This record gives sequence, structure tokens and C-alpha cells, in this order.
Amino acid sequence: MTFRKRISLLIAEFHECTLMAVDAVVNHKLRSSLTLIGIMVGVFSIILVETAMYALEDFVGKNLVGLGANTAQIKKWPTFNFASPSSWEKYARRTDLDYKQFQKLQQRATLAKGISIDKCFTSATEVFSRYDFTNPDVSLYGITPQTFSARNIILEQGREITETDIRNRTHVCILGKDLASKLFPFSNALGEKVRCRSISYTVVGTLEKKGSLFDTGADNRIYIPLTTGMGYFGQRHNFDFLVESFSQDQMDETIYQVRGILRTLRGISPVEEDDFEIETNQSLIEQLQNLTLTIRIGIIIISSIALITAGIGIMNIMLVSVTERTREIGVRRAIGARKRQIMIQFIMEAVLLCQFGGIAGVILGIAGANLAMLFLSIPAAIPLNWVLIGLISCSLIGIIFGSYPALKAANLDPIQSLRHE
Amino acid sequence: MKLHQEISQSFFISLDAIYANKMRAVLTTLGIIIGVVTVSLMNMAIDGVSNSFIRSISVLGSDTLYIEKNGWLDFQLEWWKRRGRRDITLRQSRKFMELMGNQFLISPYVSHQICTVEYNSEKISGVFMEGAIAESAVINNFEFSQGRFYDNNEVEGERPVCILGNDTVEALFKHESPIGKRVKINGINYEVIGTLKERGTFMGFSMDNVIYLPITRMLNDFARHPNVGISVQIKDLTQVDELTEEIRGAMRRVRQIPPGEPDDFAINKQEVLLNTFNRVSGVIASVGLFITALSLFVGGIGVMNIMFVSVSERTKEIGLRKAIGARRRTILLQFLSESILICLIGGCIGILIACSLSPIVNHYIPASISIKTILFALVIAAFVGVISGYIPAWKAASMNPVDALRKE
Repeated sequence: MTFRKRISLLIAEFHECTLMAVDAVVNHKLRSSLTLIGIMVGVFSIILVETAMYALEDFVGKNLVGLGANTAQIKKWPTFNFASPSSWEKYARRTDLDYKQFQKLQQRATLAKGISIDKCFTSATEVFSRYDFTNPDVSLYGITPQTFSARNIILEQGREITETDIRNRTHVCILGKDLASKLFPFSNALGEKVRCRSISYTVVGTLEKKGSLFDTGADNRIYIPLTTGMGYFGQRHNFDFLVESFSQDQMDETIYQVRGILRTLRGISPVEEDDFEIETNQSLIEQLQNLTLTIRIGIIIISSIALITAGIGIMNIMLVSVTERTREIGVRRAIGARKRQIMIQFIMEAVLLCQFGGIAGVILGIAGANLAMLFLSIPAAIPLNWVLIGLISCSLIGIIFGSYPALKAANLDPIQSLRHE
Repeated sequence: MKLHQEISQSFFISLDAIYANKMRAVLTTLGIIIGVVTVSLMNMAIDGVSNSFIRSISVLGSDTLYIEKNGWLDFQLEWWKRRGRRDITLRQSRKFMELMGNQFLISPYVSHQICTVEYNSEKISGVFMEGAIAESAVINNFEFSQGRFYDNNEVEGERPVCILGNDTVEALFKHESPIGKRVKINGINYEVIGTLKERGTFMGFSMDNVIYLPITRMLNDFARHPNVGISVQIKDLTQVDELTEEIRGAMRRVRQIPPGEPDDFAINKQEVLLNTFNRVSGVIASVGLFITALSLFVGGIGVMNIMFVSVSERTKEIGLRKAIGARRRTILLQFLSESILICLIGGCIGILIACSLSPIVNHYIPASISIKTILFALVIAAFVGVISGYIPAWKAASMNPVDALRKE
């Protein structure tokens, strides 16, 4: 027999086995559907939990920092720092990232689209307009021209802070959505004056609504030019630098260049490690995932118990199926079917059942989790890798729990089984 | 035939049926066992965590109110309204005690100042210092291993005496009795007059790592501008609300709040903590139970599936039984008792396994076995048996005997 012929024979055999398995599944509709529901529930629980976790983590990671996709953040203190006191000291000893370094970095970093700062000078201040005033819970931010694009903040009306504002320390401001509608309930805010800490600013822009679950203060902010703010709140601060690259592909290169420049500026010798943190959205989400790893493993184990129970159900029903079809097996063996073929037939049946259940479970799980996320107003997510893992694991369950009944069927003595009542 | 006879007969028939298909019965039971084990382990963990929390906050006492500047777990959005509150002073607390008279046991307290304690060459740091008056020994249910609490003469006289918690005693006095010895608290000499028995932990903090001083002396030596709290023990728990109002009125007088102004203090109860905990833990518990109950559900479906198989295999037998006069009820009971039996056996084995696993779980999170959990698991298992057995049993019971007998 040539190799080609052998392959085509194998395919034919496989095809036939599949057809027979489909037949068997369809013939016992009630039994198949119950078994299928078992697998479906098992996969459902895994996918539900994983989708929910995935959506939550993505959401928390993105909102905690609010970085755009092309933006990296350079900080003195890492965002997630649950370390021991000694490592706290390590961060505390670092020198501040100051304005001079920022200016030099801006000149030298040629690959970056923009380097910017947003500094929260105070998070508890009142703002007055000629109509109304706010609660003392408004945050005052000093920003540079590129900040809005780095932070994904969108202007609704007016203009952004410009280079001229920075140079001349102008008294202009941009208001968040909530703040603007509170201070100017009936009129346009543009061109009006607001007063904050006894200093008057002209409103040159207002922002679109940003609002989110965790960051409730996002729309309750007033933005002024960084240099103006430094005039009132002091020149020496520790800033977080936002580095924006032109595209996702250039991100690594840009970060590499910025890192080199900063190392030179801060006088770090080649053998020393960085004395600043570079964080991107992706790296932050990864850190978050590492932190929650233990919880995730626990949840995966708990939720896959249902799948194992379903696997036992499959094994049971397959055993019944083998007993019922003993005569059929005997006939097939008698007219020349090999052990392998009988085995493939039954394993195929189990895998088929599992696949149907698995697909239904994946769909239900994703739908259920996203429905729950809808209530929390968190954007939907489809964790493709978990869909794949779910489908593969239910095939595995089918193979593992189907192989014992299949083996039993294959090892039946054809004479005995023909005689079976 | 009488009902109880039918039940006992169907019980034996189902035992026979289970025995006849051992492999099948074992696998079906296994599904139920896994479900029951996960559900009852989850239940035990939930019970254990909430028990340990309740035990730890019971130190506060359900009959004691704590008047403090700020409320516990008071996450008001308008935090700036609470920002300017004045501290409660010792003088205010004295005035309050005068107003209330001898109605309740009242003690002002100043707490949670971390200090270092030295005795000869031994030295420990991170000890919590608390100042109070003699009444607080009764309010807090202190039990003494040696010595006594300070009395109010010592409080008035600002005597340098102290009472040590168990951990402090063990760390400082290894081979001698601490009573009458002088220890240095942050460099100032105090005489030890009593030691407390071990008290356990409160919300993660050890309550044995403490040292009690007369409040007057403590204010003199360590806390010039204290924020005093006032604990009030109420004897009559049925009148908590009225008494709370009375206390609030007295406190408003002491703090000189004009009518119409909101309180600038808070009256805290153990309940506040309990309620918040129950809310949070309720959500977590229901999610956990839902996820684990899914596996029990899958097990139940397995039982139902096998019962259908069993019914269709024994169609002839059913026909025969009906032909010779078995009633619908009899057939129904026969199959129902089989599925319930399988589920109950699974439930019992599941509980045994869960109980033997609980020490391992206890290693990571507090888990406790209770009769409630065991009964709950058994009831759930029986319930699953009824639910998943009923449809197949009904199918069997409503068969037409003629058709059933004719079936190949």
C-alpha cells in the first residue's frame, strides 16, 4: 500500500467514524442533550469567570492610569508597590524627576511625538465663577501642550494649553465637564473668568465627559498651564513624564531612546540600574495580573470542577452506550472492523458531544459575563485565548473520559458480543 | 398496598438496581460526591471566615457605644464637611460623665499610640498604649492573670502605673513576676500593677500587645493634644435607640452645638462593622456558592441521564409490574427512590470527604464544620435527587403497560 493510499484510507475511516458518531448522537436526542448540558455548564462556569476577570482587569488597568495605547509613563514611584519597607526606601532615595530634566528630555527625544506632564497640584480646592461655586473637592492640574493627547482627554470646546501659555505663564484654564456645567449652568464657559485659590483664570476650553466607575473625579478637574501652577505651588516637584510615540510599532524604540537620555541626564553609570520606572498600559495590566495570579488559579480550579463532573457524566453515558450497542460492535468486528476503528468511533462520539456542549458553554459564558459587566458599565471583552482553552479542554475531557468506554468497546470479544442479548 | 410498604419495597428494588449496575452507580454517585464536596467546602469556608470575623469584633461588645470624633467606616462623599471637626477633649468627656450621672458605665479612652517598653536589658517596640479610667476594666471585661487594674484614685493622682498585655509580659519578663517591677515606656518609668490574660486578635491586630495607663498620666507624658473617645456600656439592650438619643443630646450639650446644626461627633456601634461585613461577604458568598453549585447541578444532570437510561432499559419490567396491578404511584416511587438513594449516598460520602478535607482548607482560610452545613448538604443532595429523578420516574410511571410489554 502506498503512503498516499494509506492516508486517504485513514481519512475515509475517520470520516466514517464521525458520521457514525453523529448518527449515534442524533439518535439519542434526550440523552445527548442532557450530557451536552453538563459539559455546557462546566465550560460556562470557566468562561464566565475568566471573561469577567479579563474585562475587569483590562478596565482597572486602563482606568487606574488612563494612558493612551501609544503612551508610556516615567515615574519615580511604581504604580503598584506593595513591597517591603526596604524597597520603599529604595524608591524614596531616588531623586525627583524635575522640570529641568523634562525640558532637556523634550529637546533631545527626537523619536517621541510629544513628552508631557500632568501634575496634580491640589486635589481639594474650591472654584468660583460669577454664578456659583463648587464643593472643596476639585483637583487642580498643571499640564503641558501634549498632555491631552497622551491621556486620551478630548476637548469639547475652545483650545488646548499651548507652548505660548507655558512660556508666558498665562492665567488660562480648561474645565472638566462636570465643573463647567456646575459653574456655568446656563451659559457657555468660554471666555469667562473663574477664581481658584484667589487667583483668577480665563476659561479657554472645556472637556468632553470622561467619567468612569473608579475615577469619579475625572470630570471634576481644572487644568492650568504647568508653569503658571509652579509659580503658585512651588518650582520643585516630582513629576510623572508622559512619553507619547507616533505609533504602537515605534513604542519600544521611543522608550529606548528616552531611557538613554534620562540615564545620561540623571548621571547613572552603565552598570547601575534605572532609578526611574517606565510603565505602559500593557505592563501595568501584566503587573495587575501577576498580583491576582493566586486568586485566578483558585478560581480556575473551582470553576473547572464542574467540567470534571460533566466528564464523569460523559463516561457514564458512554459506558451505557457501549453496553447497548454490544451487538452492533460485534457485527462490525465480525465483518472486519479493527479495534482501532471501534475505539475512534466511540471517542469521536464523546468528543463530538463535548464540542457541542463546549461551543454552547462558551457562547453562554461570554454572554453572561458581559451582561454582568453591562450592569457595572464596564466595556465588554472576549478573551480569545480562553475561548480556545475552553474548547480544547472540553475536547480533552471528551478524549480522557471517552477513552475508557471506547477501550472497553474495542476489547469486546466479537463472538461474545454477537451472542449478547 | 399501604404507602409505607410501597416505600420500603421500592427502597429494596432500587438497592437491587444500584447493585446490579455497580460501575454505573459508582460514576453517577461520583458526580454527586464532587458536587457536594465543593459546595460544602465552600460553605465551610464562608462560615469559617464570617465566624472568625464575628468572634474578633465581639470584643467590642454589643452593649457598648463608642463616641468618637469620626464614624467607623464612614465613607461619606462629602468628606470636607467632617474635615474641621474639633477633637473631643478629656474635659468634655468629664462633663459628659457628669451629665449622665451613674446611669451607665462610662470611660474615656485614648488609644493606639505606638510606644517602646523597656525592662532591664529587654526592649520591645510597636506596643499599643491605651489610656482609660477604672471603669474600662469592667466595660472591656478584662481578666487578670496577676495583680489588678488601676483605681480612680490612681487616675486622679496621675500615678505612673501600668497594666501589661500578655505578649508584652512574655517578651519582657521571662523568669520573674512583673508585679511591682518598673518598666520604661518611651523612657519614662512606670510601675507594673497588673497583667492581663491572653485575649486574641481583633481584625488582625493582636490585643495582647498592649499596655494600659491611667488616662491622666498618659495625657501628661505622651499625648498633650489627645483625641479622646468615650465608651458607654448600656445595661438595657432593649432601649438602645432611646439611650443613644439621650447620649447624643448630652454630647451635643457638652460640645455646645446650637440647635439645627449637625452633630460633630459620631456614636459607633459594633453593628456598623457587622452590617458592612455582612453586605460585602454576602456578595462574595453568593458568587462562590453559585460557581460551586454549578458542579452539583452537573452531577444532578448526570443522575437524570442515567435514570432515563435505567427507565428505558427496564421498560419491559415496568410493563410487567403494571400488568399485574402495580399502580402509577408504585412505579414512580420505585424510580424516585433510586435517584434519591444515589444522591443521598453521594451526599453522605461527600460530607465525609469535605469534613476530612476541612483541616487542609483551614490551613489557608478559616473553615469550620457545623451541623448546619452538614444538614444543608444532605438536604441539597436529596433535593437534587428528587428533581433529577422525578421526570424519568414520571415517564416510567405514565407508560402504557401494553406498549411497554411489547417493547423489544
